[in-house]
Amino acid sequence: MRKLFSLFSLLFFAAVGNAQEERITVSFTDIPLEQVISDIEEITGLQFYYVEEWLGRTTITADFNDTALDEVLDTIFKDTLINYFLSDDGSVILTRNNIIIDQLPEEYFGKSDEEITGPFEDEVNPLFVQEESAEELMAIETVRIGRQTRNNRRRNFTLSGIALNSETGKPIPELAIIVKGTNLGTTTDADGRYSIELPAGMNIIEARSLGISTNRKRVIIYNNGTLDFDLEESFTQLDEVVVSGETDRNVAAAVTGVTVLEVEKIKTIPLVLGERDILKAAVTLPGITTAGEGAQGYNVRGGRVDQNLFLLDKGVLYNPTHFFGIFSALNPFTTGDVSIYKGGIPAEYGGRLSSVFDINTKDATIEKLSGEVSIGPVTGNVMLEAPIVKGKSGLLVGGRATYSDWILRTLDEPELQNSQASFYDVIGKYNHAFNENNELKATGYYSKDAFSVTSDSLFRYSNRILTLEWDHKFNEKNTAVISLANSEYQFNIEFDGQTDTNFDLGYKINETELKLKMKYLHSEAHTFDYGVAAKYYSVEPGSIVPLDAGSIVTPVDIPPEQALEAGIFISDSFKVSDKFLIDAGLRYAFYAALGEAEQRIYEPNLPKNPGTLLEVRQFGNNEVIETYGGPEARVSARYFLADDTSIKASFNNTYQFIHLLTNNTTASPTDTWKLSDLNIKPQQGYQVSLGVYKNINGNDYEISLESYYKRSENILDYKVGAQLLLNETLETEVLQGDGRSYGIEFLLKKNAGRLNGWLGYTYSRSFIRLDSEFPEERINNGEYFPSNFDKPHDLSVVANYKFTKRFSASANFVYQTGRPVTYPIGSFNFNNSEFVFYSDRNAFRIPDFYRLDVSFNMEGNHKIKKFAHSFWNFSIYNVLGRNNPFSVFFVTENGEIKAYQSSIFAIPIPTITYNFRF
Amino acid sequence: MKKLKAILKYITFLVAGLFLITCVEEFEPETITFESALVVEATITNEMKTQEILLSRTYAFEDDGPEAETNATVQVTDDQGSRFNFVESQAGVYRSTAEFSANEGRNYTLNITTDDGRTYSTSALELPPSTGLDSIYAERIVDSNGVDGIAIYADSFDPTGTSNNYRYTYEETFRIIAPSWTPNDLVPDEDLGGCAVKVVPRETEQQTCYRTDSSTDIIQFQTNDLDEDRVSRFLIRFISNQDYIISHRYSILVRQLIQSDQSYTFYETLNQFSSIESLFSSTQPGFLNGNVSSTTDENEKVLGFFEVATVDEKRLFFNYEDFYPGEPLPPYVNPCMTSAPVLANEGGCVLVNIVRANTIRYLDDNGTPGPREGPYLVVPRVCGDCTEIGNSEVPEFWTEE
Repeated sequence: MRKLFSLFSLLFFAAVGNAQEERITVSFTDIPLEQVISDIEEITGLQFYYVEEWLGRTTITADFNDTALDEVLDTIFKDTLINYFLSDDGSVILTRNNIIIDQLPEEYFGKSDEEITGPFEDEVNPLFVQEESAEELMAIETVRIGRQTRNNRRRNFTLSGIALNSETGKPIPELAIIVKGTNLGTTTDADGRYSIELPAGMNIIEARSLGISTNRKRVIIYNNGTLDFDLEESFTQLDEVVVSGETDRNVAAAVTGVTVLEVEKIKTIPLVLGERDILKAAVTLPGITTAGEGAQGYNVRGGRVDQNLFLLDKGVLYNPTHFFGIFSALNPFTTGDVSIYKGGIPAEYGGRLSSVFDINTKDATIEKLSGEVSIGPVTGNVMLEAPIVKGKSGLLVGGRATYSDWILRTLDEPELQNSQASFYDVIGKYNHAFNENNELKATGYYSKDAFSVTSDSLFRYSNRILTLEWDHKFNEKNTAVISLANSEYQFNIEFDGQTDTNFDLGYKINETELKLKMKYLHSEAHTFDYGVAAKYYSVEPGSIVPLDAGSIVTPVDIPPEQALEAGIFISDSFKVSDKFLIDAGLRYAFYAALGEAEQRIYEPNLPKNPGTLLEVRQFGNNEVIETYGGPEARVSARYFLADDTSIKASFNNTYQFIHLLTNNTTASPTDTWKLSDLNIKPQQGYQVSLGVYKNINGNDYEISLESYYKRSENILDYKVGAQLLLNETLETEVLQGDGRSYGIEFLLKKNAGRLNGWLGYTYSRSFIRLDSEFPEERINNGEYFPSNFDKPHDLSVVANYKFTKRFSASANFVYQTGRPVTYPIGSFNFNNSEFVFYSDRNAFRIPDFYRLDVSFNMEGNHKIKKFAHSFWNFSIYNVLGRNNPFSVFFVTENGEIKAYQSSIFAIPIPTITYNFRF
Repeated sequence: MKKLKAILKYITFLVAGLFLITCVEEFEPETITFESALVVEATITNEMKTQEILLSRTYAFEDDGPEAETNATVQVTDDQGSRFNFVESQAGVYRSTAEFSANEGRNYTLNITTDDGRTYSTSALELPPSTGLDSIYAERIVDSNGVDGIAIYADSFDPTGTSNNYRYTYEETFRIIAPSWTPNDLVPDEDLGGCAVKVVPRETEQQTCYRTDSSTDIIQFQTNDLDEDRVSRFLIRFISNQDYIISHRYSILVRQLIQSDQSYTFYETLNQFSSIESLFSSTQPGFLNGNVSSTTDENEKVLGFFEVATVDEKRLFFNYEDFYPGEPLPPYVNPCMTSAPVLANEGGCVLVNIVRANTIRYLDDNGTPGPREGPYLVVPRVCGDCTEIGNSEVPEFWTEE
């Protein structure tokens, strides 16, 4: 390397010369470059200066007839990294990468101690690379990217590539690629690929991630090019909660309200019942809440639980939880990362108002068998991955199950002995790289829950997802992803008691989506994403059948529903200037409800009830019942106020054509999804958000403050007295109103040091208005009232403290305002009967929620050659024993009404979990 | 409250399934404040009669029952300027000063001014079309639960197809014969004093009584989904053959009310609140808007409903023997165990205190009292005195055969 730098000095002082007039006639057929050069030397008498290694094994085939020398040289060096310089004295100096510049930039000598990246927009940009300190220089590998071209006026070039684990050959996702001394940075995607804009010239690039030894390279970039990383694992960093995967993303990305969670990083968050749960970790971040322990689903920025799109490897996961929401249905060992979009939703996603949870399963290893096992008090989990065709394809399988059935059977309580409580989930992923340009991925997932809600009933539900994805690279600029995903969610209740009301009730929804997403790296300033997606739904809304001949249950069968949902989208990530980035997307959403169906038509402008029914219209198979749709804007922008400070804003609107029918905030086994039809309109949402982001001291500290305002239309709610299950005339029970929510979210993260973690605080409100001129359709006088999940104050603190490399402790504290509830406030007599008199909808609140969890982690020792790497976790969930209400209800005892609350984890729950991986 | 208990059960089992780590505890809901609101129950019909409107207040859970809304001014007006004034006949019960009927094609409005000066009113309601109750009839059936009993059905038909919303109420009256009645009774022997009692002839009729009960369920039927506006074999009431009420002649008066859409919806929703909650469904709770609103404060909550309905009614009688000839009667409301309480024991007087409490009736003398037995055989009061559960006066409408 030293030689090269000496050569630079030589070149800078080379005399100005000109030998371009020379014309030659010569012809080469598969001649090695070195031979070609000596031939030209012979013909012209010119002297070439070069380093032999540079020429490599390039061979030349060309015919020149009275061709100017520079044209000849241009041709023969076209496919190499070599530039040439013709000097006056008849010598030709070959250089690798560099163009020899015969003038020095003015400030050259004045800027001796730093890199200079050509600040000249209108000239050919010369590049000068100067030495840093000798030590640095020796320690870091230097890589040259691209060949400098004379007419290149660009200041920035694109460096892209793939990061692979040198041991397993697997891509490393979420690897931070940081340009030292600047605020530039990116991360690798799920396939380990990255792309970054670098200023021309020398950059020190650092690739770092959890569990990977940090790698630094000096990259001298002359043109667009590729640089792959082969990185080693480092066990020494395993217990560190590094939130640096996002490094500069919080500041640099254009999208607001995006959160990326990686399973590795939530490892030290205290566990409940020994389960590491990525979605539980999500709840510690601002803007994402649940209605309480045991509540179903997630409320994102004041949205209903059905407004979140859970995608597992591109397939929709309808019920992301096990056991009424106590466990998540995602296997922590196979889950790679989750990106949560709660503000600006990229144009490629559609169909839900509040958020997208894009969950990616890890790619399977293609090099060597490995696995991970955990044994907890309630569940056990195994993950194995193995190469199928070494270097090309791998298979990953994971399985998780509970032994609670066994626990229940050992209990003395006879009622519990006959109870059942079990769940499991299995996942398999196969990835096959055919070549650099084609990769196939297939995922299969199945989760099942079966438990007794009462001793004589059995409730079961299951999710099934099958996805197939083909990634294709057309060329450096164009890539495509085609995916086909099918998912099915069903539940079933079997009631087999002593009475004659035994029944079997079932519900099923199935959807299949075909999606094409293309990416076009148009230029430094523009990157286009575009594509189409089409989805077919089929719903069997429910049937109830008598379980045996003695049952008096009348069979009911609600006819199936089907619909088509499609979207076409395009977005442009447009870098207006170094400071200003705008990501503008447009999506057109389309929905058609299809027959065969019966649709009830009601008198317009009157409440829908049997009395206003005009006719029942029949629609034939696949006949279009009704179409909905419209354009959706997805716009976000980022502006750098300073190197480490940015301001971002976004606007988006969305349509949602599918609704979850639930009038409970607690999970009810009978919540069903309903497709929009003639009477039930799609929900629509609009959100604007604005945020300020700042990194301090690199990204040791991250601070963000984000605010949002959301308005939604046709939000589903229910009339007083609504009954939703197996109701053929649902439209007479539901109301569609306006939603309004707003909030401000503060997040402070400390990423480095012995003590790290984050603190999030959110102040938010969420309201709904159900107004009509008819009393039966008016709730709370038609005024805005707090929605079921309006929890103004939400504070989460997650802290980790590392004592040594092997021992660490963490704690997690959550405080939330109690959610609104409708209370009975008295009785009244009517029609010779006594009735309960309820308050206005959501007029009261249940007691506030707070909880503190602690955990202590111990790593096994770190001998790299050891067969297995082990990890012990000891946690106490709800250390304070706070009795957080799961549900509140009222009973009359001795003529007195009493309020009761039930809690799920009312006492501290200690757990010990053993994990190992190999 | 059965609903809440069902929920409690549900929660308890659910959590029991969750490894017994859940707990249910009482808490003090500080925020709950009882709200007193006016409850209006008014149904004006097309029958020429003294119409009745009930006004009460909501009451707290710990209270026994509603407090009547007294001293209110109640008036019904129609769209042609007719006014019908109501006066309070007993606490909370307001009766029209004159008989009147709601007429077809007219719109009626209810206005209330309470004692504290607050005013309430409804929008104008039109009388729905009138449809006669064609017939009611009783049949012996075995119901879907396998219970043998008497079903009372209603049939009705509106050829114009405009009635659609039917609500039924009934009043059932039955004769009760006290199975252990004797002409004599026990009274405290005031002459002897102390613990003494004596046998005297009864002074009032206590053997045969009649009892009338009103329906408490909301019974509704809608014909919109049917090909024609016909009510056919609609079950109004089912009485098990083990129910004593049909032992000694039974009568039922079924009233058929044709409701407006709005009334029908209101009653239907109200009914969902009272029906027993099934384990797997839940009803959206909330304040149920009626059609009466405060004109003083539009945010004031007013419960109940003002209904204008057309009514037709029919009565039927039957005897137990009509359906169960020669079969034993249903068991009486009480198994009527005899006992012979001692006159006194270590603790003091026994029988005389029971006599004073009026909970037994004399059956016979206890010829040979065993140890710890007294001189008289007695039965629970209801077995020897039907006035405990009925009225000895024969109702006006009662006919034999």
